[in-house]
Amino acid sequence: MRGFTAFIEKEFRELIRTKRMMILLIVFIAVGILNPATAKLTPKLLEMEADSLASMGMTVNEISITALDSWVQFAKNTPIVLIVTLIIFSGIYTSEYTKGTLIPLLTKGLSRSSVVLSKYVVMFVAWSIGIWLCFGITYFYGDFYWDNSVVKGVVFAGFCLWLFGVMMVSSIVFFSSIASSAGQVILGAGGLYFVMMIAGISKKVSEYLPTKLLAIGSLYTGELVPSDYKIPAIIAAIISVNFVIAAFPLTHKRQI
Amino acid sequence: MNVLEVKNISKSFGSKKVLDGVSFSVPENCVFGFIGRNGAGKTTTMRAILGLLELDSGEIDVCGEKVTYGSTPQSGCIGYLPDVPEFYGYMNACEYLELCGSITGIDRAALKSRISEMLELVGLDKEKHRIGGYSRGMKQRLGIAQALINRPKLLICDEPTSALDPVGRKDILDIIGAAKEKTSVVFSTHILSDVERVCSKVALLEGGKIAFSGSIDSLREIKKGSALELTLTCPEDCEKVVSVFKQATVSEGMIVFQNATDKDCAELMSYLAAQMIPINRLERHEVDQEDLFMEVISK
Repeated sequence: MRGFTAFIEKEFRELIRTKRMMILLIVFIAVGILNPATAKLTPKLLEMEADSLASMGMTVNEISITALDSWVQFAKNTPIVLIVTLIIFSGIYTSEYTKGTLIPLLTKGLSRSSVVLSKYVVMFVAWSIGIWLCFGITYFYGDFYWDNSVVKGVVFAGFCLWLFGVMMVSSIVFFSSIASSAGQVILGAGGLYFVMMIAGISKKVSEYLPTKLLAIGSLYTGELVPSDYKIPAIIAAIISVNFVIAAFPLTHKRQI
Repeated sequence: MNVLEVKNISKSFGSKKVLDGVSFSVPENCVFGFIGRNGAGKTTTMRAILGLLELDSGEIDVCGEKVTYGSTPQSGCIGYLPDVPEFYGYMNACEYLELCGSITGIDRAALKSRISEMLELVGLDKEKHRIGGYSRGMKQRLGIAQALINRPKLLICDEPTSALDPVGRKDILDIIGAAKEKTSVVFSTHILSDVERVCSKVALLEGGKIAFSGSIDSLREIKKGSALELTLTCPEDCEKVVSVFKQATVSEGMIVFQNATDKDCAELMSYLAAQMIPINRLERHEVDQEDLFMEVISK
């Protein structure tokens, strides 16, 4: 336990001193601001382009923007933020294995489980803080400019995106236990997403896939209700837990 | 009591047998020199002692506790200095030692004084910069400090002096020599003079086997036999000398006595004087390190 607390302290210090924390915060805050800003600026942009659009035979009528447009942007932009997070954390384990920085600490009695767990906690916390910060900013501006009450299930939709992110972060833990470089880890996580996309071509299968958690537009409009996302959410949670559990024996067997 | 016992360990990587039945033991308060050329299996043995490597066969006991692969049950018992120690560049020496200390469970109050004691020992006490800007020698010093922070019973140093300049080497050897008071040290190297300076026991690893093992004196014993070279004024006298001294050989007009003892030398001189054989040159030189190395290996 003392190894775990000491190591997690080191992990947070690393996050701050290597400026990763700063990069993540900037990205999350920027996207949080960008969501309502894009919605707010869309009619102005169209107005500016009205002349050229008119010459192409299109007329721009009065567009009414609501908080829904801002939340649609949130749903669209979150996967980009997730990709940034995954890239930033892709080398969190493998860089320690290849550099050999863990060896002095392991020989001091630090357990490999503590290493696996504390790095996971750091990623989990960073992703959770980031996504809900982004959510909070979007929510604040939604109320400031428009009215969030016209959009349905915003918090649950946020939960879906958060859960999908947790699953991808867990996949980093798993792939890091077998991969030897950050590139391989990203390839593994990307491969996981790709497989889910391919499998999702079948409508029947897509109902069960965690990728459904990203398609939250229908939640906002009320076409779908939270209970429609129950199965993919449970499956995402099960996959996450299994990824992390599987990483322990694999890391124990790993030659460091 | 032996702090470390290595019993008949073997390890292969693919078809290459790196360790083939290696056995040795290290008693308390002893600096144990582990000699071998590059690729002889020194690092492999050390990693096995630390539980970082899975063995094919054999057993290792550290402080009476059996070493198992993948975990480090010998917490507090072993300190390890890797050949090229790598630390977190964004920390300074003090922060790094704090991390090491808290992992081993030294309480905060004691840790502070321990850290300043260690930094003073390795000469990094005035260094406030982050480790990222350290030179190789400084990293090596910090490596020793982190290895000794938990006052281990066994300190394992993997080629601590190989990459350092003469001054850095001397400093590191002095620190290791001083550490002997409190801990046993296993110290691998391919530099024989380093071994002679600090070690009291040695083992020589060659081809995955222990080629020689014993006290530093027994190693010196092998070294004692020095070569004697004699050049005579009249080359015709050569045969005369060789017929009396059977161990001598003639090469390039010069008589060479391998492994000549002091007595051999005296006998030769008295013979030359008695026979009135004029000489140009008589030279005696010690077996150099490479010769010794080759001699031990070829045994």
